[in-house]
Amino acid sequence: MATTPRSGGASGAAQRPNGTSQNKSCQFKLVLLGESAVGKSSLVLRFVKGQFHEYQESTIGAAFLTQTICIEDTVVKFEIWDTAGQERYHSLAPMYYRGAQAAIVVYDIQNQDSFQRAKTWVKELHKQASPNIVIALAGNKADLSNIRVVEFDEAKQYAEENGLLFMETSAKTGMNVNDIFLAIAKKLPKNDGANNQGAGAGRRLNENETNRQTNNCCK
Amino acid sequence: MANAPLNTKSNANPNATATAQPAKIETRLCAITFFARLHPGDVCGSNGLPLTPNSIAILGRAQRLRELEHENLCQYLDVIRGKHERTIVVSEYSGCTLEEHAKRSSLSQTQILRIFYQVACGINVLHAHKLVVHNLEPKHILIQEQDHVKLFNYGLYHMTKGGAYVPFPIGNIRYMAPERLLGANGNIKSDVWALAMMMLELLLQTTLWPKLKLSNIARKILAFGRSNNVLERIAREHDCYNLYQQLDVDVRALLERCLSVPLSQRPLPSELLAYPCFDPQREELRAPSNGTVDAAPLPLLLRCPLSQIYHLWQLAGGDVQAELKKEGLIRSEAPILALPQVVRLNGSSAGPKRSQSYLMDDRIVPLKLNTLVQRLRRLPASVYFPLIHSPRFPYEFAGEMQQLPLVIRERDIEYQFHRVRLFARLLQGYPHTAELLQREAAVDIPPLLRGPVWAALLEVIPNSSYAKIDKFTATSTDRQIEVDIPRCHQYDELLSSPDGHRKLKRLLKAWVTAHPQYVYWQGLDSLTAPFLYLNFNNEELAFLSLFKFIPKYLQWFFLQDNSAIIREYLSKFSQLTAFHEPLLAQHLASINFIPELFAIPWFLTMFSHVFPLHKILHLWDKLMLGDSSYPLFIGIAILKQLKSTLLTSGFNECILLFSDLPDIVMETCVIESQKMYESTPKSITHRKHALRQQPPQTLDIGIDDVELKHLLAEQCPRISAKDVLHLVQHAPGELALIDLRSVVEFARVQVPHSINIPFATVLLGEQRLDALNVPQLEMQLRGRVVVCVSNIHQHAVEFSQFLVACGILRTCILHKGFNVLHSIEPNILIST
Repeated sequence: MATTPRSGGASGAAQRPNGTSQNKSCQFKLVLLGESAVGKSSLVLRFVKGQFHEYQESTIGAAFLTQTICIEDTVVKFEIWDTAGQERYHSLAPMYYRGAQAAIVVYDIQNQDSFQRAKTWVKELHKQASPNIVIALAGNKADLSNIRVVEFDEAKQYAEENGLLFMETSAKTGMNVNDIFLAIAKKLPKNDGANNQGAGAGRRLNENETNRQTNNCCK
Repeated sequence: MANAPLNTKSNANPNATATAQPAKIETRLCAITFFARLHPGDVCGSNGLPLTPNSIAILGRAQRLRELEHENLCQYLDVIRGKHERTIVVSEYSGCTLEEHAKRSSLSQTQILRIFYQVACGINVLHAHKLVVHNLEPKHILIQEQDHVKLFNYGLYHMTKGGAYVPFPIGNIRYMAPERLLGANGNIKSDVWALAMMMLELLLQTTLWPKLKLSNIARKILAFGRSNNVLERIAREHDCYNLYQQLDVDVRALLERCLSVPLSQRPLPSELLAYPCFDPQREELRAPSNGTVDAAPLPLLLRCPLSQIYHLWQLAGGDVQAELKKEGLIRSEAPILALPQVVRLNGSSAGPKRSQSYLMDDRIVPLKLNTLVQRLRRLPASVYFPLIHSPRFPYEFAGEMQQLPLVIRERDIEYQFHRVRLFARLLQGYPHTAELLQREAAVDIPPLLRGPVWAALLEVIPNSSYAKIDKFTATSTDRQIEVDIPRCHQYDELLSSPDGHRKLKRLLKAWVTAHPQYVYWQGLDSLTAPFLYLNFNNEELAFLSLFKFIPKYLQWFFLQDNSAIIREYLSKFSQLTAFHEPLLAQHLASINFIPELFAIPWFLTMFSHVFPLHKILHLWDKLMLGDSSYPLFIGIAILKQLKSTLLTSGFNECILLFSDLPDIVMETCVIESQKMYESTPKSITHRKHALRQQPPQTLDIGIDDVELKHLLAEQCPRISAKDVLHLVQHAPGELALIDLRSVVEFARVQVPHSINIPFATVLLGEQRLDALNVPQLEMQLRGRVVVCVSNIHQHAVEFSQFLVACGILRTCILHKGFNVLHSIEPNILIST
């Protein structure tokens, strides 16, 4: 696969394009949403730093991280807002998903409530967020699939009905973590960078319809 | 009580008439060690988190034992984790074991009764604390001079959760009651059986089954179930039926009852103590000391509480692990030697045998105190009993020490000795010593007493209210609390132990129950953690400290809808940043780097979610001394420390910096925030939602005067007429008052020494001070509080903004404008 997640680094200066300096580059704002303790911060930590902390502390307010990946000849920089999961912090959420081009809604495969909560988030995003937002649904903690409660097929079907990308992930093992970000990057339109197109409000385009092959980039 | 900070235990013993020999002094503390059971492989619990190591669980459970203080119990002092699940227990130890004692000289019946009366006292205390020993045997009974008895190692069963956390059995089978062999543990009456077995061993002058194998002993004990007189049977088996018959009738009755196989017939420890054969012992203990004074009293140091002695021993360089290594109890072996030689595909391996050093070794290692005694030998007796109310106070100790960095002071044994003695004294006098305590805490707080000192600074007065709060009924918040606790400061051993989790949960639930107007916000867990960490054995103190802390610093923050409070707080934070760091504030505002994006966890948790515990402790040491505005200055101090990076960074770099906060030097941060706190007039920090001790006066800023919209619109904070008046009268050198009214108005009436810059004449487009054409203006403003005054509020707002853009420090606006100055009595205005 042509992806190479590299360290975002605290300096923010580490996003050197891989190899040639002629790469096109895009920036996308991505927000993580989901019930408390489903593993949002862990997913980001795995994606950005390749690390996993068993006792990842809770997120209050939100945290911000960046990571850059390369797809074919395009450099895609994610600006990731990792939000607090507790329902009470809900009022802050619009501040973060407003203007976001992508969202990952996370649930915990061993917690049915977190799946219901994820559905609520998806509804809210469809209603409130930018109409072209790319939403991915992540069933996290897939390493614990022997004690799962939310069935893969159930979530898969829900995702298809709602035009979401879907993967089961494990921040602990790293399974599908890079892949889900990569899938989002592929689905994001790269011809006009961060701009919203304003069309198709409230309806999701499915994957084939997005101009994923368009590489005539961007800012 | 206040004049007796001596170790009360030595006084409580009426028989403590013995001479203290130097040799005994050295062995007051000891350490034992064992390995906790390893979890097989890398196993995760049902929540996906790794299982808590058993040594941590032991550490958590053992904390409770440290609270037990009784003359017949050796005090527990510490539990330490070593490598590979090694657990080390430090406790009091003095005298010799009953085993040795009995070998040395044969004991009279009176002596035996005296000893076991005290053993029963010890067990009785443990029973009152709902603990069982299950580990009683002659080597765990220590005999001091005059047959004073202390139980030793009595907590092993409790701390290992009945042995579940260790790979070895607990208790000596010879003294084990039959029901324990059958697996029924946890009844204090099993300890009564053990007591009787030890007692009969001495009375019958025999050793129980000296030659039998374990399995045969077990068979013997189980066979007692068919016997109706266990005592007689044992006597016959050990060929001492004669001695048995010669036993005092009362003593025999006692033993027979204690050795009843059915539990119901065995007495409880309290019943045991009431037996007639113990009458003389009861009398003896009840009678006042027979008046003989200690011939050679203990050195003053050894009369201090053991917890203090142990703390000082550590500061004097004492290292428990090193002592164990010296004794060969901890042996390190090159890991390479443990590698298997062959590993089969099925996972089994062949190689060197498991090292002997991993086996249980129940030797007791004394921790010698002579270095410590030597080290503190020269201290005069007076420092042991600081005279806090004498006119000479504060005494002249270590003035130059207080110039040194805190980390050095905290490790200096003599300094800590003084501080601990002083604070212990102050705490005994609390709340009457509250003021002195506050003053001394401003210097520093000795780590050993931090928990109670904080509580005192927060004006906590324990009132047993905690016990009455419902901490158990399930609520809708439970799930959130449960997912947050396993993520809260889990690098700390205490907080990650199952006991730590349980306690934190109880505290959080109690807080939520006690505050129906508030809700649980994520972050409350972090906020509670430092209090639990410091008062692990005193949940009530932890709870009451939190209970007082929140209204003091976080009034209304835990409302269901706290947005107004948080927005006000963060706006004030922006204003204060402009006040103390105008250029930084200007830059952050220009890149739209608003506090909402990074500072919510800072303030909602008072930084406890941002920093590790050891840093929070030092930060809060100072925070506790300030008012509700202090945390804002801590926030600015953090920005200040990152200033150079922030000034050269754009939005993304700034936000990344705060998502992964770099190492903040806490001491600098504390000093900076203290400086700013002290140099800021109180009204500058005015917040509508802060907790107020008294209602505002006429010249203060009124509670509802400043709305959120004002805060958002005004870059600079407002100052009250009262504070301006104070500056005019008491510190005119620290005030620069810029009067923005017209020249005519200014001439008519003005504040003395104020600078007139008519607003109409200035062009604010150019952000240079020179553009104002006021000679030496910068000189006149430097180092002062710059107050912009006008009749038209908007003018003051705009002008102050201009000053901030010019980088002028400490700019503010007079609340209610110039006219408010007319109302000041007596008049401060003059005319030219």
